[in-house]
Amino acid sequence: MSIQLTEGVNLHIIPTEKYKTVRIVIKFRASLDKKTITKRALLSSLLETNSEKYPTQTALRSELSNLFGASFGSSVTKKGAFHVLTLSLNVVNENYLTMSDSIVVKSIDFLKEIIFRPNVTDERFNQATFIREKENLVDYYDSIADDKQTYANLELQKLFFEEDDQKIPSIGTKEDLDEITEETIYHYYKKMLQEDQVDIYVLGDIDEVQLVKQFREFSFEPRKSKKEELFYTPSSVKEVKIKTEQQEIKQAKFNLGYTTPIVYLQENYYAGQLFNGLFGGFPHSKLFVNVREKESLAYYASSSLDNFRGMMIVQTGIDSKKIGQVKDIVTLQLKEMQNGNFTEEDIHQTKQMLKNQLLQSEDNSSAVIERTYSNQLAKNSIMSIEEWMENIEKVTKEEIIEIANLVHLKATFFLSEEVK
Amino acid sequence: MDEKHYEQLNETIYTETLSNGLSVTLLPKNEFHKTYGLFTTKYGSIDNQFVPREGDELVRVPDGIAHFLEHKMFEKKDGDVFNVFGKQGASANAFTSFTQTSYLFSSTTNVKENIETLLNFVQDPYFTKETVDKEKGIIAQEIQMYEDEPDWRLFFGLLGNLYPKHPLHIDIAGTVDSIMDITAESLYESYHTFYHPSNMNLFVVGKMNPEEMMALIKLNQAKKSFSEVTEIERYFPEEKMTDIIPFDSIKMTVKRPKSIIGIKGVGQVPEGEEALVYKTTMDLLLALLIGPTSDNYLRLYDSGVIDDSFSHGFSLERTFYFADIAGDTKDPETFSTVIKEILLTAKMSPELNREHLVLVKKRMIGQVLQSLNSLEYIANQYSQQHYGETTLFDLVPIIESITLNQIKQLAEEFMQESHMSVFYILPKGDEKA
Repeated sequence: MSIQLTEGVNLHIIPTEKYKTVRIVIKFRASLDKKTITKRALLSSLLETNSEKYPTQTALRSELSNLFGASFGSSVTKKGAFHVLTLSLNVVNENYLTMSDSIVVKSIDFLKEIIFRPNVTDERFNQATFIREKENLVDYYDSIADDKQTYANLELQKLFFEEDDQKIPSIGTKEDLDEITEETIYHYYKKMLQEDQVDIYVLGDIDEVQLVKQFREFSFEPRKSKKEELFYTPSSVKEVKIKTEQQEIKQAKFNLGYTTPIVYLQENYYAGQLFNGLFGGFPHSKLFVNVREKESLAYYASSSLDNFRGMMIVQTGIDSKKIGQVKDIVTLQLKEMQNGNFTEEDIHQTKQMLKNQLLQSEDNSSAVIERTYSNQLAKNSIMSIEEWMENIEKVTKEEIIEIANLVHLKATFFLSEEVK
Repeated sequence: MDEKHYEQLNETIYTETLSNGLSVTLLPKNEFHKTYGLFTTKYGSIDNQFVPREGDELVRVPDGIAHFLEHKMFEKKDGDVFNVFGKQGASANAFTSFTQTSYLFSSTTNVKENIETLLNFVQDPYFTKETVDKEKGIIAQEIQMYEDEPDWRLFFGLLGNLYPKHPLHIDIAGTVDSIMDITAESLYESYHTFYHPSNMNLFVVGKMNPEEMMALIKLNQAKKSFSEVTEIERYFPEEKMTDIIPFDSIKMTVKRPKSIIGIKGVGQVPEGEEALVYKTTMDLLLALLIGPTSDNYLRLYDSGVIDDSFSHGFSLERTFYFADIAGDTKDPETFSTVIKEILLTAKMSPELNREHLVLVKKRMIGQVLQSLNSLEYIANQYSQQHYGETTLFDLVPIIESITLNQIKQLAEEFMQESHMSVFYILPKGDEKA
């Protein structure tokens, strides 16, 4: 059930008795823009840390403890050509507690405090909090560089895309962070609150009437519903972009980025899922079997799709010296896909795996909300699992071959062992 | 088949120990789509010295063999078990820890076939020289991947300090050199010693009819023959308190230093219900002292000594128990000095008060209930059979029963400077060492 609270702000209720918790997710969505990505990332940290009513972390965390350890967090992600700031809170269903305390009602009140009354005085965010969270974000940027898989992926992304909006990570950059002040971040907060598209999801066994009443008290102003394009289409290149970097590491990372014509729930989507599953998505896939099982070159070798940005990434962790061999195998396996060298049995198995994956994700409350959100963004409606599975079932071998021939290598990033 | 109903949680658990010694636990959750099966042997990386089932002398096996065995179980004469599961619409996996190896599947269709496949593939080993040698390259890459992960290195740096003799300090996957010594014969020797049904348990959770499920499992097991149930003799080196190495550090290409402090539990490792009470009391103690509602946390966070990576944990398993506190920090020395001070004065800490305990207990109870949404989490907790008959579902009353005095007493006993150790990871090129 969806209810418009005001123009551009919608509440979606997903009733279920399956879980022992109630999950509340609030999503703020804007167009992806280099100028605001870092501000949104910092804002996410500020909102999560404290507020006017809960001015210290301990005050805020004590309130959450009082709500029986409600887990609360904030994050930012890219979704196609959009940037999404998400606040989420998961709280125990009162039925499972001996002492009931209307904790769902209190949890929603808590979120209201977080959103509408941040730790601000005289149109500035609290200075101490601001400085510390800025420092923490810088540390976080640094720590990402220490995680080599993530680092290699971000470097590939930088190489793959042409526009800054897509190049930079969803959590922003150090350079952009330097320019933000307590005042500019407050102004952006006001702007986000007034202009972002807002979607609120509540999943669990709840009193709907009370819930709607409570969310109607959130003082969101009406905002224009934006009809901007969700999907991003990367441009193609004549020559593959190649970058190599050396670091003092034990295992090298070789990642490849491909452009694809696969669009979430739209053209080529179902055949695209089959293609990816057969190529590198599962343990029976060509990449896993050939790079890992046959040649023992890697512990992991897989492919994954970004269905909102027309991109496929292949990730491998290998011995630096074996780069040539790995590259040849990956290239050859894509050729095999393009030539249709896979069996009906392989297709059947992949369909089974895809259906199993979707059904399993329906057992996870957070995945259910994410799927609903993606559906609403892409189609303005929710596709039933049955329909999705039927569409997967209908995919033919010819369609998979066609997709394989529309996938093109655009960039490769190689994080190599230092050569001494 | 025994049946136990938990009124408050609205859950019913079914258990039975089969005649071959296999312990089976079923938890039907029919509102879920999936069924998750977890088949576990009490055999992990620490079990590197034992008397083989068909022998009478103690042997020492190559480091990493339990994990290697886990990898090799999936390969059979006629192909890969992943494909069998795949055709039956299941995803499969396995993992090895210090004390156990677990094999799992989860599926939304063909559940009966998948249960049979799980039981059959784990109970039918197939190792040859060729398949064993081929795996070495894959596992060498896995080991090297972990060697580049600073948090993993930090944790094992601490274990090396706390347990210089006990095999806990050995990386679960072994080393690139040690796995070269593994042969098909050594895998069979370990397999026959530790994969006897009497050393194993099966946990199935999710969509099912418990009577039918139990009948299916029994029938499957009745068709197979196993050697007699015998006690497994494992050996662990004696360790003295003076063996603890109080400090060490390494350098890596990290941007931020990392610091970890560990406190080793000495003396008898608690077992059964006592173990769960002990662990829960410790979790409460650490949460009170340095958890997110403590003044200590706020002070350290505000002064930039700790950040969001700050964490504390307590491990209690077969043959060992220890607490660890870790985090990224600009100043690893201040981090370790301050945390040590907090731990050593824990008994007198103003954080240990009634009001704070009520708050921390509320949080912990809520977290237990939240965790019950995850079938995987429930199964993983259940398969760790160190807590005897007590389970995750008994945890809420245990949390409620623990008193401030119990917590203070534990603080006094456990927090000893001579049981502590510190380990840093410092950025390459950094002068502080």
